[in-house]
Amino acid sequence: MRSERKENPVLVVPCSGMGKVHGLISREAAYLVTDELAPGKTDTLCLALLVMGDAEAVDAVRSHDCITIDGCAKSCAQKNVEMAGGRVAKALQVADAFRNYRGAKPGNATTLTDEGWAITRDIAQDVARESERLCASEEVAR
Amino acid sequence: MSAEITKVGIISCSGEAIAEGTISRLATRRVLELLRPDVTVTLCLPLFLAGNDAERNFARTHPTITIDGCPKQCAKWGTEQHSGPVNAALVVSDILGTEGAACHRSARDASQVDKEAVWAVAESIAAEVNNVLAEATPVDAAEAGAGHCACSSPLPGGKLNIKGKSINIPGLPLILEQCAERGISSDGTALLDVVKIYHAVDPEDEAEYKIALMQAYQAFRSGLRPAK
Repeated sequence: MRSERKENPVLVVPCSGMGKVHGLISREAAYLVTDELAPGKTDTLCLALLVMGDAEAVDAVRSHDCITIDGCAKSCAQKNVEMAGGRVAKALQVADAFRNYRGAKPGNATTLTDEGWAITRDIAQDVARESERLCASEEVAR
Repeated sequence: MSAEITKVGIISCSGEAIAEGTISRLATRRVLELLRPDVTVTLCLPLFLAGNDAERNFARTHPTITIDGCPKQCAKWGTEQHSGPVNAALVVSDILGTEGAACHRSARDASQVDKEAVWAVAESIAAEVNNVLAEATPVDAAEAGAGHCACSSPLPGGKLNIKGKSINIPGLPLILEQCAERGISSDGTALLDVVKIYHAVDPEDEAEYKIALMQAYQAFRSGLRPAK
Protein backbone atom coordinates (compact mmCIF):
# COMPACT_ATOMS: atom_id res chain seq x y z
CA MET A 1 0.00 0.00 0.00
CA ARG A 2 2.89 2.35 0.71
CA SER A 3 4.39 2.00 -2.76
CA GLU A 4 0.90 2.39 -4.21
CA ARG A 5 0.52 5.64 -2.32
CA LYS A 6 3.55 7.14 -4.02
CA GLU A 7 1.96 6.46 -7.41
CA ASN A 8 -1.62 7.45 -6.56
CA PRO A 9 -1.50 9.62 -3.46
CA VAL A 10 -5.05 10.91 -3.69
CA LEU A 11 -8.28 8.92 -3.58
CA VAL A 12 -11.32 10.55 -5.18
CA VAL A 13 -14.52 9.20 -3.62
CA PRO A 14 -17.88 10.18 -5.17
CA CYS A 15 -21.25 9.33 -3.63
CA SER A 16 -22.73 8.14 -6.98
CA GLY A 17 -26.19 8.90 -5.52
CA MET A 18 -28.99 7.08 -7.31
CA GLY A 19 -31.82 9.59 -7.21
CA LYS A 20 -30.74 12.81 -8.86
CA VAL A 21 -28.38 14.19 -11.49
CA HIS A 22 -26.08 15.35 -8.69
CA GLY A 23 -25.08 11.74 -7.97
CA LEU A 24 -24.21 11.12 -11.61
CA ILE A 25 -22.21 14.36 -11.74
CA SER A 26 -20.22 13.29 -8.68
CA ARG A 27 -19.42 9.93 -10.28
CA GLU A 28 -18.46 11.29 -13.71
CA ALA A 29 -16.36 14.05 -12.12
CA ALA A 30 -14.36 11.37 -10.31
CA TYR A 31 -13.74 9.52 -13.56
CA LEU A 32 -12.72 12.72 -15.34
CA VAL A 33 -10.07 13.26 -12.68
CA THR A 34 -8.76 9.71 -12.44
CA ASP A 35 -8.88 8.93 -16.18
CA GLU A 36 -8.11 12.27 -17.84
CA LEU A 37 -7.02 15.18 -15.64
CA ALA A 38 -4.80 13.53 -13.05
CA PRO A 39 -4.17 9.87 -13.93
CA GLY A 40 -1.32 8.41 -11.92
CA LYS A 41 -1.88 10.92 -9.14
CA THR A 42 -5.43 9.95 -8.33
CA ASP A 43 -7.53 6.83 -8.07
CA THR A 44 -11.02 5.92 -6.94
CA LEU A 45 -12.50 3.06 -4.98
CA CYS A 46 -15.91 1.47 -4.52
CA LEU A 47 -17.74 3.40 -1.80
CA ALA A 48 -19.95 0.34 -1.24
CA LEU A 49 -16.86 -1.70 -0.42
CA LEU A 50 -15.90 0.89 2.17
CA VAL A 51 -19.43 0.89 3.58
CA MET A 52 -19.04 -2.86 4.01
CA GLY A 53 -15.86 -2.36 6.03
CA ASP A 54 -13.65 -4.20 3.54
CA ALA A 55 -10.17 -4.25 5.08
CA GLU A 56 -8.38 -3.21 1.89
CA ALA A 57 -10.77 -0.30 1.29
CA VAL A 58 -10.49 0.87 4.90
CA ASP A 59 -6.69 0.69 4.70
CA ALA A 60 -6.78 2.65 1.43
CA VAL A 61 -8.73 5.61 2.86
CA ARG A 62 -6.53 5.63 5.95
CA SER A 63 -3.28 5.67 3.97
CA HIS A 64 -4.29 8.09 1.19
CA ASP A 65 -5.49 11.66 1.16
CA CYS A 66 -9.18 11.56 0.17
CA ILE A 67 -11.29 14.05 -1.74
CA THR A 68 -15.00 13.35 -1.49
CA ILE A 69 -17.68 14.54 -3.93
CA ASP A 70 -21.24 14.45 -2.59
CA GLY A 71 -24.49 14.97 -4.45
CA CYS A 72 -26.70 15.86 -1.50
CA ALA A 73 -26.53 17.21 2.01
CA LYS A 74 -26.50 13.71 3.48
CA SER A 75 -22.79 13.72 2.50
CA CYS A 76 -22.58 9.93 2.30
CA ALA A 77 -19.13 9.87 0.71
CA GLN A 78 -17.60 12.23 3.25
CA LYS A 79 -19.28 10.57 6.23
CA ASN A 80 -18.37 7.03 5.20
CA VAL A 81 -14.72 7.93 4.62
CA GLU A 82 -14.60 9.66 8.00
CA MET A 83 -16.36 6.76 9.74
CA ALA A 84 -13.74 4.40 8.29
CA GLY A 85 -11.01 6.52 9.86
CA GLY A 86 -9.93 8.12 6.59
CA ARG A 87 -8.69 11.69 6.24
CA VAL A 88 -10.90 13.87 4.05
CA ALA A 89 -8.56 16.51 2.66
CA LYS A 90 -11.40 18.22 0.84
CA ALA A 91 -15.15 17.61 0.79
CA LEU A 92 -17.00 18.95 -2.23
CA GLN A 93 -20.74 19.38 -2.69
CA VAL A 94 -22.00 19.17 -6.28
CA ALA A 95 -24.62 21.85 -5.56
CA ASP A 96 -21.86 24.40 -4.93
CA ALA A 97 -20.71 24.06 -8.55
CA PHE A 98 -24.15 25.18 -9.72
CA ARG A 99 -23.40 28.75 -8.55
CA ASN A 100 -21.95 29.53 -11.97
CA TYR A 101 -24.75 27.81 -13.85
CA ARG A 102 -27.96 29.41 -12.65
CA GLY A 103 -30.96 27.98 -14.45
CA ALA A 104 -28.89 25.21 -16.02
CA LYS A 105 -30.53 21.97 -17.08
CA PRO A 106 -27.82 19.42 -16.29
CA GLY A 107 -29.73 16.27 -17.22
CA ASN A 108 -31.01 13.55 -14.94
CA ALA A 109 -29.72 10.69 -12.81
CA THR A 110 -28.99 8.68 -15.95
CA THR A 111 -27.72 11.13 -18.58
CA LEU A 112 -25.90 14.46 -18.55
CA THR A 113 -26.57 17.30 -20.96
CA ASP A 114 -23.77 19.53 -22.29
CA GLU A 115 -24.43 21.84 -19.34
CA GLY A 116 -24.25 18.86 -17.00
CA TRP A 117 -20.89 17.89 -18.45
CA ALA A 118 -19.63 21.48 -18.09
CA ILE A 119 -20.54 21.46 -14.39
CA THR A 120 -18.93 18.03 -14.07
CA ARG A 121 -15.71 19.30 -15.64
CA ASP A 122 -15.64 22.31 -13.29
CA ILE A 123 -15.82 20.00 -10.29
CA ALA A 124 -13.21 17.68 -11.78
CA GLN A 125 -10.83 20.57 -12.36
CA ASP A 126 -11.31 21.66 -8.77
CA VAL A 127 -10.49 18.13 -7.60
CA ALA A 128 -7.47 17.92 -9.92
CA ARG A 129 -6.09 21.23 -8.58
CA GLU A 130 -6.51 20.03 -5.01
CA SER A 131 -4.87 16.70 -5.89
CA GLU A 132 -1.92 18.58 -7.40
CA ARG A 133 -1.58 20.61 -4.21
CA LEU A 134 -1.73 17.51 -2.04
CA CYS A 135 0.84 15.71 -4.18
CA ALA A 136 3.13 18.74 -4.02
CA SER A 137 2.88 18.95 -0.25
CA GLU A 138 3.62 15.24 0.01
CA GLU A 139 6.74 15.70 -2.14
CA VAL A 140 7.89 18.47 0.20
CA ALA A 141 7.29 16.26 3.23
CA ARG A 142 9.27 13.38 1.76
CA MET B 1 -54.95 3.22 8.02
CA SER B 2 -53.40 4.30 4.75
CA ALA B 3 -53.78 2.43 1.47
CA GLU B 4 -51.81 -0.75 1.11
CA ILE B 5 -49.07 -0.71 -1.49
CA THR B 6 -46.21 -2.92 -2.50
CA LYS B 7 -43.10 -1.41 -3.99
CA VAL B 8 -39.92 -3.33 -4.55
CA GLY B 9 -36.72 -1.71 -3.34
CA ILE B 10 -33.78 -2.04 -5.70
CA ILE B 11 -30.37 -1.40 -4.24
CA SER B 12 -27.41 -1.13 -6.58
CA CYS B 13 -23.79 -1.37 -5.49
CA SER B 14 -22.81 1.26 -8.11
CA GLY B 15 -19.18 0.27 -7.49
CA GLU B 16 -16.99 3.08 -8.82
CA ALA B 17 -13.87 1.01 -9.39
CA ILE B 18 -15.29 -1.32 -12.05
CA ALA B 19 -17.40 -1.05 -15.20
CA GLU B 20 -19.87 -3.56 -13.80
CA GLY B 21 -20.61 -1.06 -11.03
CA THR B 22 -21.65 1.49 -13.63
CA ILE B 23 -23.80 -1.16 -15.34
CA SER B 24 -25.48 -1.98 -12.01
CA ARG B 25 -26.31 1.70 -11.48
CA LEU B 26 -27.61 2.32 -15.00
CA ALA B 27 -29.63 -0.91 -15.14
CA THR B 28 -31.28 0.00 -11.84
CA ARG B 29 -32.14 3.44 -13.21
CA ARG B 30 -33.56 1.81 -16.35
CA VAL B 31 -35.91 -0.32 -14.25
CA LEU B 32 -36.96 2.66 -12.10
CA GLU B 33 -37.56 4.94 -15.10
CA LEU B 34 -38.80 2.65 -17.86
CA LEU B 35 -39.37 -0.99 -17.08
CA ARG B 36 -41.13 -0.98 -13.69
CA PRO B 37 -41.55 2.69 -12.73
CA ASP B 38 -44.73 2.29 -10.69
CA VAL B 39 -43.62 -0.57 -8.48
CA THR B 40 -39.98 0.15 -7.71
CA VAL B 41 -38.03 2.52 -5.47
CA THR B 42 -34.37 2.80 -4.59
CA LEU B 43 -32.00 3.89 -1.86
CA CYS B 44 -28.34 4.84 -2.03
CA LEU B 45 -26.36 2.01 -0.44
CA PRO B 46 -23.89 4.35 1.37
CA LEU B 47 -26.89 5.95 3.09
CA PHE B 48 -27.23 2.88 5.31
CA LEU B 49 -24.25 4.04 7.30
CA ALA B 50 -24.55 7.79 6.79
CA GLY B 51 -28.30 7.90 7.26
CA ASN B 52 -30.69 7.36 10.15
CA ASP B 53 -32.85 4.50 11.40
CA ALA B 54 -35.64 5.18 8.88
CA GLU B 55 -33.19 4.66 6.04
CA ARG B 56 -31.63 1.59 7.63
CA ASN B 57 -35.13 0.19 7.97
CA PHE B 58 -35.49 0.11 4.18
CA ALA B 59 -35.35 -3.65 3.61
CA ARG B 60 -37.69 -4.30 6.51
CA THR B 61 -40.39 -2.17 4.88
CA HIS B 62 -39.82 -3.14 1.24
CA PRO B 63 -39.27 -6.44 -0.51
CA THR B 64 -35.75 -5.83 -1.76
CA ILE B 65 -33.57 -6.84 -4.71
CA THR B 66 -29.86 -6.10 -4.73
CA ILE B 67 -27.80 -5.71 -7.87
CA ASP B 68 -24.05 -6.07 -7.50
CA GLY B 69 -21.24 -5.54 -9.95
CA CYS B 70 -18.94 -8.27 -8.68
CA PRO B 71 -19.02 -11.41 -6.53
CA LYS B 72 -18.08 -9.43 -3.41
CA GLN B 73 -21.80 -8.51 -3.37
CA CYS B 74 -21.48 -5.37 -1.26
CA ALA B 75 -25.08 -4.36 -1.94
CA LYS B 76 -26.43 -7.71 -0.78
CA TRP B 77 -24.28 -8.08 2.31
CA GLY B 78 -24.53 -4.38 3.16
CA THR B 79 -28.31 -4.40 2.93
CA GLU B 80 -28.62 -7.55 5.00
CA GLN B 81 -26.17 -6.28 7.60
CA HIS B 82 -27.82 -2.91 8.07
CA SER B 83 -31.41 -3.41 7.00
CA GLY B 84 -32.56 -7.02 6.81
CA PRO B 85 -32.75 -10.01 4.45
CA VAL B 86 -33.12 -9.37 0.71
CA ASN B 87 -35.60 -11.19 -1.55
CA ALA B 88 -33.23 -11.62 -4.48
CA ALA B 89 -29.60 -10.85 -5.23
CA LEU B 90 -28.27 -10.40 -8.78
CA VAL B 91 -24.64 -10.08 -9.84
CA VAL B 92 -23.76 -8.27 -13.08
CA SER B 93 -20.71 -10.39 -13.76
CA ASP B 94 -22.89 -13.52 -13.53
CA ILE B 95 -25.44 -12.09 -15.96
CA LEU B 96 -22.97 -10.73 -18.51
CA GLY B 97 -20.17 -13.27 -18.18
CA THR B 98 -17.06 -12.20 -20.07
CA GLU B 99 -18.99 -9.47 -21.96
CA GLY B 100 -18.66 -7.24 -18.90
CA ALA B 101 -14.95 -6.90 -19.59
CA ALA B 102 -15.72 -4.84 -22.70
CA CYS B 103 -17.82 -2.29 -20.78
CA HIS B 104 -16.69 1.11 -19.51
CA ARG B 105 -16.87 2.94 -16.20
CA SER B 106 -17.64 6.40 -17.59
CA ALA B 107 -20.59 7.42 -19.76
CA ARG B 108 -18.07 9.39 -21.87
CA ASP B 109 -16.71 6.09 -23.17
CA ALA B 110 -19.98 4.18 -23.42
CA SER B 111 -20.46 2.13 -26.58
CA GLN B 112 -23.12 -0.15 -28.01
CA VAL B 113 -21.69 -2.95 -25.86
CA ASP B 114 -22.41 -0.92 -22.73
CA LYS B 115 -25.95 -0.13 -23.87
CA GLU B 116 -26.70 -3.78 -24.55
CA ALA B 117 -25.21 -4.77 -21.20
CA VAL B 118 -27.45 -2.27 -19.39
CA TRP B 119 -30.52 -3.62 -21.17
CA ALA B 120 -29.62 -7.24 -20.40
CA VAL B 121 -29.11 -6.53 -16.71
CA ALA B 122 -32.19 -4.28 -16.51
CA GLU B 123 -34.36 -7.00 -18.00
CA SER B 124 -33.02 -9.48 -15.45
CA ILE B 125 -33.90 -7.08 -12.64
CA ALA B 126 -37.39 -6.48 -14.08
CA ALA B 127 -38.01 -10.22 -14.26
CA GLU B 128 -36.94 -10.52 -10.65
CA VAL B 129 -39.29 -7.66 -9.70
CA ASN B 130 -42.16 -9.68 -11.18
CA ASN B 131 -41.14 -12.74 -9.19
CA VAL B 132 -40.88 -10.78 -5.95
CA LEU B 133 -44.21 -9.01 -6.48
CA ALA B 134 -45.93 -12.33 -7.11
CA GLU B 135 -44.87 -13.48 -3.66
CA ALA B 136 -44.96 -10.18 -1.77
CA THR B 137 -47.36 -9.26 1.01
CA PRO B 138 -48.66 -5.68 0.68
CA VAL B 139 -47.32 -3.33 3.35
CA ASP B 140 -48.83 -0.25 4.89
CA ALA B 141 -48.08 2.89 2.87
CA ALA B 142 -47.05 4.95 5.87
CA GLU B 143 -44.67 2.26 7.04
CA ALA B 144 -43.22 1.80 3.56
CA GLY B 145 -42.62 5.53 3.34
CA ALA B 146 -40.31 5.33 6.32
CA GLY B 147 -37.42 4.20 4.13
CA HIS B 148 -36.65 5.94 0.89
CA CYS B 149 -33.82 7.55 -0.97
CA ALA B 150 -33.18 11.03 0.35
CA CYS B 151 -31.72 12.19 -2.93
CA SER B 152 -34.74 11.04 -4.93
CA SER B 153 -37.20 12.91 -2.74
CA PRO B 154 -38.01 16.60 -2.89
CA LEU B 155 -36.03 18.55 -0.33
CA PRO B 156 -38.16 19.68 2.62
CA GLY B 157 -38.86 23.36 2.15
CA GLY B 158 -39.40 26.37 4.37
CA LYS B 159 -41.51 29.51 3.99
CA LEU B 160 -40.33 33.11 3.72
CA ASN B 161 -42.61 36.12 3.74
CA ILE B 162 -41.73 38.21 0.68
CA LYS B 163 -43.80 41.30 -0.13
CA GLY B 164 -46.71 39.92 1.83
CA LYS B 165 -46.64 36.55 0.08
CA SER B 166 -45.57 33.24 1.58
CA ILE B 167 -42.80 31.82 -0.66
CA ASN B 168 -41.61 28.21 -0.39
CA ILE B 169 -37.81 27.81 -0.51
CA PRO B 170 -36.79 24.21 -1.33
CA GLY B 171 -34.28 22.90 1.19
CA LEU B 172 -34.41 25.98 3.45
CA PRO B 173 -33.88 24.02 6.71
CA LEU B 174 -30.84 22.28 5.22
CA ILE B 175 -29.52 25.57 3.82
CA LEU B 176 -29.75 27.23 7.22
CA GLU B 177 -28.17 24.20 8.87
CA GLN B 178 -25.24 24.26 6.41
CA CYS B 179 -24.77 28.02 6.93
CA ALA B 180 -24.63 27.48 10.69
CA GLU B 181 -22.13 24.62 10.29
CA ARG B 182 -19.95 26.78 8.04
CA GLY B 183 -20.04 29.63 10.53
CA ILE B 184 -21.76 32.05 8.15
CA SER B 185 -22.84 35.08 10.17
CA SER B 186 -26.28 36.69 9.99
CA ASP B 187 -25.29 38.47 6.80
CA GLY B 188 -28.24 38.75 4.41
CA THR B 189 -26.02 38.86 1.32
CA ALA B 190 -24.16 35.67 2.26
CA LEU B 191 -27.40 33.86 3.06
CA LEU B 192 -28.99 35.02 -0.19
CA ASP B 193 -25.99 33.77 -2.18
CA VAL B 194 -26.54 30.27 -0.78
CA VAL B 195 -30.31 30.34 -1.34
CA LYS B 196 -29.84 31.48 -4.95
CA ILE B 197 -28.02 28.24 -5.72
CA TYR B 198 -31.28 26.38 -5.17
CA HIS B 199 -33.97 28.98 -5.82
CA ALA B 200 -34.45 31.67 -8.47
CA VAL B 201 -34.73 35.16 -6.94
CA ASP B 202 -35.94 38.20 -8.85
CA PRO B 203 -33.26 40.94 -8.48
CA GLU B 204 -36.01 43.39 -7.49
CA ASP B 205 -36.89 41.17 -4.52
CA GLU B 206 -33.36 40.62 -3.22
CA ALA B 207 -33.57 43.24 -0.47
CA GLU B 208 -36.75 41.63 0.88
CA TYR B 209 -35.19 38.18 0.69
CA LYS B 210 -32.14 39.35 2.67
CA ILE B 211 -34.31 40.66 5.50
CA ALA B 212 -36.50 37.54 5.53
CA LEU B 213 -33.47 35.24 5.44
CA MET B 214 -31.76 37.04 8.30
CA GLN B 215 -34.92 36.67 10.37
CA ALA B 216 -35.26 32.96 9.45
CA TYR B 217 -31.57 32.35 10.20
CA GLN B 218 -31.77 34.07 13.58
CA ALA B 219 -34.87 32.05 14.42
CA PHE B 220 -33.11 28.85 13.28
CA ARG B 221 -30.10 29.57 15.48
CA SER B 222 -32.47 30.18 18.38
CA GLY B 223 -33.81 26.68 17.89
CA LEU B 224 -36.90 27.52 15.83
CA ARG B 225 -37.43 25.62 12.57
CA PRO B 226 -38.61 27.53 9.48
CA ALA B 227 -42.34 27.21 8.79
CA LYS B 228 -43.17 24.40 6.35
